[in-house]
Amino acid sequence: MEHIVLEIGFALALMAAAGLLASNLKFSIVPLLILVGMLVGPHAPHLGVIDFRFIASAPLIDFMGRLGVLFLLFYLGLEFSVSRLLKAGRTILTSGIIYMAINLTLGIGFPLYLGWPLRETLVAAGVTTISSSAIVAKMIVDLKRTANPDTEIILGLMMFQDVFVAVYLSIVSGIVLTGATSFGKVTGATLVALGFMLGLIIVGRKAVSVLNYLLDLPSDELFLLALFSLITLVAGFSETLHIAEAIGALLTGLVLAETRHVQRIERLVVPFRDFFGAIFFFSFGLSIDPLTLGGAVGPAIIAVILTLLGNFVAGLLSGRSAGLSLRASANIGLTITSRGEFSIILAKLAKQGGLLPFLQPFIALYVLILAILGPLLTKESKKISKLLSRFIKWEANSRAIHYDR
Amino acid sequence: MFSIHESELPGIGQKFQIITRSGDKLVIIIHDDGRREMYHFDHDDPEDSISMISLDDNEARQVAAILGGIIYKPKSLENIEVALDDMVIEWYKIEPGLPCIGKTIGEAQVRKTTGATIIAIIEKDHSKVINPGPERVINEGATIVVIGEKEQIKACKKLIKSGSV
Repeated sequence: MEHIVLEIGFALALMAAAGLLASNLKFSIVPLLILVGMLVGPHAPHLGVIDFRFIASAPLIDFMGRLGVLFLLFYLGLEFSVSRLLKAGRTILTSGIIYMAINLTLGIGFPLYLGWPLRETLVAAGVTTISSSAIVAKMIVDLKRTANPDTEIILGLMMFQDVFVAVYLSIVSGIVLTGATSFGKVTGATLVALGFMLGLIIVGRKAVSVLNYLLDLPSDELFLLALFSLITLVAGFSETLHIAEAIGALLTGLVLAETRHVQRIERLVVPFRDFFGAIFFFSFGLSIDPLTLGGAVGPAIIAVILTLLGNFVAGLLSGRSAGLSLRASANIGLTITSRGEFSIILAKLAKQGGLLPFLQPFIALYVLILAILGPLLTKESKKISKLLSRFIKWEANSRAIHYDR
Repeated sequence: MFSIHESELPGIGQKFQIITRSGDKLVIIIHDDGRREMYHFDHDDPEDSISMISLDDNEARQVAAILGGIIYKPKSLENIEVALDDMVIEWYKIEPGLPCIGKTIGEAQVRKTTGATIIAIIEKDHSKVINPGPERVINEGATIVVIGEKEQIKACKKLIKSGSV
């Protein structure tokens, strides 16, 4: 096919079909988008005239996927607030530290055990440690678990991870994109990344009143143009410093969240986030050659098992320390296992930084398995915890969590 | 014991957990998109919600009005109040035999002696007078709407019922 618009039309139609299938199966759309992308990628076979490979439009789809990352992370920054995290308090801090201690150790230990180099190890550790807050939050709403006692801990844990993502991604992107391997260079890249983050936050705080004034635009059209130029400029600039553009977008979100336009921004950005976000997952699928997946099966399955165990144990301990019942605690561990956007952002980062090619199929398989398995485990958590309660027993603590205001 | 716990569900909305005096646990979630969900939990197993209901913004407001007694006033309650900061709005029906019947607002000296202000009168035939002047007569069967601070409202109620503060 050579007609770009038609190709994009086909791509969108495929994505819409995947979404329809997902909603009919009451299933997360993420794994289906990746799968469809893989099926029609440039590596897919073509039969004579029937050629579904997106070749002419590939760079365009790829770019729209990049925009998807920017919008996803921008929105994350917009929603994130330190005061919220502080308000959530000690419970979240304890669970967050428990989670990181277990899962980051597993995430770094496993690749090192396999003998992967430093940069590949750092990427793999991020991929396996960070849950998909998008999938998790959606599942909680869809399964009508918003009122559960464990929901607060789960969402708090997601928030904790979001902070971790920001710091980790900026450091790792510094190291991966500069190609630093020596200790001195790694430290240098890390310092640049942290300096950039702090600098942008400090400058952003000072600039809030200016931004308030600049964004005081009556027309939505102008407002969007100003907003998107701000996001892409900061993201693009951060890339010139070898810091993932996603971090630039995240920081822009953090800064704009302080302005009085935050609600208008949210309202206008959500449709773009949803649309380009879907293309992001699809374009990740496009970049995977299904034939290379074979070699990644072993490590991916072991990583999945380690993640499930690590998350489950971390969930049980967090719930226990917060005074929840066994069932609620098991719920935590089973709900946070989904992996998605952040793992893929790291995969794209690895590709950009020219890391060893086995990472891509490894991450693809890993994310696919957990994006499918995670929601299933969450759905069946009642049965699993019932089974578990035959072996372990503890009662909910009377001081059970509700953090008073 | 009656208690309300409010907490934030980041990315979803706001959660209100209510334990009623009779021991029931009710959780209300206000989603950021305006949807409301109410969960009623099992008395014996506080982790299992027995029932839940999902309302859109409009429906939730209607239900709130019904629960708040604005649409139908339960007989056992004397009056209904709406609080705005430290101001309170109340309304009472002028029952037969009250001393103020037939007097004008000015004669009843509501504002002068109590500080509260009559902001509206709804007559028996449902005709409404917003911001009635001092020459307006208080009729039997009308409902008067009064605004004032808590103490003023209390005094006003006494004045209307007994004729003196």
